[in-house]
Amino acid sequence: MKKISARQLYFFLACVAPVGKLVAMPSQLAAAAGNDLLFPAFCQYVLQSLAVCAVLWLATKERTLGELLENTFGKVVSKILLTLLSGFFLFAALFPLLEQKLFVQSAFYDTLPSLAGFAPFFLFSAYLCAKPLSSFGRAWDILGPIAIAGFFGVILLSAGEADYAALLPLGAHGAKGFWAGLSQICAWFFDAALLLPLIGNIQPERGMIWKGTLFYALGGCAVLFFLAVFFGIFQETAAGQLFAFSKTSKYFSGITVLGRIDYLFIYALALVMAFYVAMPLQACVELAVQAYGNRRVLAPVLSVVLNGLFLLLLLLIDYRAGEVGDTVTKTLFFLFPAFALAVPALCLPLRRDRRERA
Amino acid sequence: MKTVTGDLKKSVDALKKLLPAEDILTFSFTADKGQQFTCVFADAITDKELLGEQVVRALRGFDGEPKAKNVAAKLSSPETKTEKSLQTLAEETLAGNPVLLFEGMDEAVIVGTKKVPVRAISEPSTDVVVKGPREGFIEDVKTNTALVRRRLKTGELKIETVEVGRRSHTVVAVCYLDGTSVAVAEAVKRKLQEIDIDVVPDSSYLTHFLASRPYSLVKQVGTTEKPDIFCAKIAEGRVGLLVDGSPIALTVPYLIVEDFQSSEDYFVPAYRATFTRLLRLFALFVAIYLPAFYVAAQLFKLQLFPIKLLLTIAGSIRDIPFSPSLEMLLVLLVLEVLNEASIRMPKYVGMALSVVGALVLGETAVSAGFVSTPAIIIIAFSGIGLYAVPNLIEQTSVLRLAMLLVAGSVGTYGIVLVTAFMIFYLVTTENFGSPLVAPFSPLIGRDLRDSVFKYDLGSLETRPRSVGSPNKRRLK
Repeated sequence: MKKISARQLYFFLACVAPVGKLVAMPSQLAAAAGNDLLFPAFCQYVLQSLAVCAVLWLATKERTLGELLENTFGKVVSKILLTLLSGFFLFAALFPLLEQKLFVQSAFYDTLPSLAGFAPFFLFSAYLCAKPLSSFGRAWDILGPIAIAGFFGVILLSAGEADYAALLPLGAHGAKGFWAGLSQICAWFFDAALLLPLIGNIQPERGMIWKGTLFYALGGCAVLFFLAVFFGIFQETAAGQLFAFSKTSKYFSGITVLGRIDYLFIYALALVMAFYVAMPLQACVELAVQAYGNRRVLAPVLSVVLNGLFLLLLLLIDYRAGEVGDTVTKTLFFLFPAFALAVPALCLPLRRDRRERA
Repeated sequence: MKTVTGDLKKSVDALKKLLPAEDILTFSFTADKGQQFTCVFADAITDKELLGEQVVRALRGFDGEPKAKNVAAKLSSPETKTEKSLQTLAEETLAGNPVLLFEGMDEAVIVGTKKVPVRAISEPSTDVVVKGPREGFIEDVKTNTALVRRRLKTGELKIETVEVGRRSHTVVAVCYLDGTSVAVAEAVKRKLQEIDIDVVPDSSYLTHFLASRPYSLVKQVGTTEKPDIFCAKIAEGRVGLLVDGSPIALTVPYLIVEDFQSSEDYFVPAYRATFTRLLRLFALFVAIYLPAFYVAAQLFKLQLFPIKLLLTIAGSIRDIPFSPSLEMLLVLLVLEVLNEASIRMPKYVGMALSVVGALVLGETAVSAGFVSTPAIIIIAFSGIGLYAVPNLIEQTSVLRLAMLLVAGSVGTYGIVLVTAFMIFYLVTTENFGSPLVAPFSPLIGRDLRDSVFKYDLGSLETRPRSVGSPNKRRLK
């Protein structure tokens, strides 16, 4: 399998990455920042865009993170740092999984199913994790158009039903609301960190840094527009509307005649999300492989073990998923900017060769 | 290695020892000058009339030196060669080429007067067109290569033969354009030479060996029965394989999009071709997903039905004793059995079978309350949809069944997950260096012009990049 092409990376940044932010984030944001929900999201996107820009700059070196770290710090420190980052992805994988599980139980079933309904996801995830990251590029070529179709379908059916005046007056929730919103959505913003394991597997092209950042910002614009539509539809009740994108389109007038055709678009987005949710786990496996080598054995073993462990964990916290999610978003949120913003910034000096520095 | 000796009787006996079968005959004759000749041939596959004409009559007046070259020059056959090895002579005899031995010479002459019974060239039943050529390949590799040569009258067309099968010695003709697909042709020949199998009854046997994932459900080698399609694929930079004994030719590298294209698409206006290709794609999706979504919606998400449709369905399934998934599985099973039976049955019984299938099974099963009308409608629609892309039937029918089982047990999320798995599996599969899902993944903009879309012929100036031919330009 060849390297990920720059175009495939743009598809990820513009189409796949935003999908993860359409499920529970809008309601969380509405609860914290009310009608000012766009500002914290915009701020997070600006910060993430800068971090994405930094990681793409690192990617132009065409060396993996492991190689860059080893070149600067030596083998032992490189292994420790890679293990640490791998551990972060293990932690970061939990929240999207919880979110996805709750979303699936809500959007795919009329009555609450047992965890068995969601369990097959781990089979799929284990298969994905065992494959090298470079194979993901091809999937993004397919997922990009699917995500676009799904997103535009949902927006088409819901944008007309929204009252955008509900977003006014701007700044009604003040700095407190802004800060609460900014901190509580940190768990959704670690896309720059997700790119770290990819570097060295990307085939750079001219202008990739600014194009990549621009595409990520475009994806951000789509999410901001969706947030506006979401709040415009639900207004004061927005905070209680978990799994936003499966609900915004249900007020479309044609649904009484055609049935829930919006589910076609929702399922298309859910398909893309299945790949996105598996990514932190795959990043975790990839970094472990970069640290300890032996891909043929380590990758499949880790994939099966980690996915099995997460299945077990979800089984244990099945009825406390909400509380665990709250702990991640409200108490441990600082870990996300630490790894998604600080780590890419700290990695920038790695781009210079040891020889160059000397 | 045993060879022909100067002693005619000994050589003939040695050859007969290698060929103890009853249909291997010998025929001896003497030239005017007293030279003794013996011809060894396989009874049913040798043209005896031609043998008499080109060999016996030609050698009547032979008076030259007893050398193989002299004898071969005297024959009026355009296809002769000399050989010493008895093993090779035995193989040639079995291939239908008579062997001519004569007194005093340590070489034999092989005469190309093979006559294998072949059927006439006809339109293949698997790929019928309204507009366009109607010729189809037959089981004889020589006739098939002639059909290819007729369409590609260029010295760049290479037809190289490889024998596969320890016992069948099946001739496989590897056809490609020189300078266009040499690397793939070399890889194909290498793979063919590595095959160690006793008999190759059909080209489908070779697909297993040519696939990069041989145990996969996914098709990885292209097939066609039509010489015009075969030649078009070769012209695009692919390598074609004609297998003796099989009317189905193989082409590599294969892209999944090929099966959504029909030869007729190139003979009708581009907008029409695009429409029919999209229709095929839609039909295939409906065929695979419709039964699964119907079952999943009934079991797990009734909201997917519009309210009036839901009421109709509720009315029809009220007295059905089976669960929706079991009901759908039963109907699907009946359809598959009917399908299988109708293919194998003699044509005159097929009509009766249709009546039994449609009236007795369908109508009676509904009125007896075994299955509901919507289930039959959905399976019928799915069954028709599957045949919109006939070359993928084997794969899609299994996929439909898998989707149905997943939908019945996990619901719509199961369908989404199987789809996701399928996408990832397909995008990571490649054969002979070409990704199976190209030009969609990796996305190759120019190749999209002849994918599920079809641009005007004037816009298709280059060979598909997905195939990886070094010779890119087609239209100047």
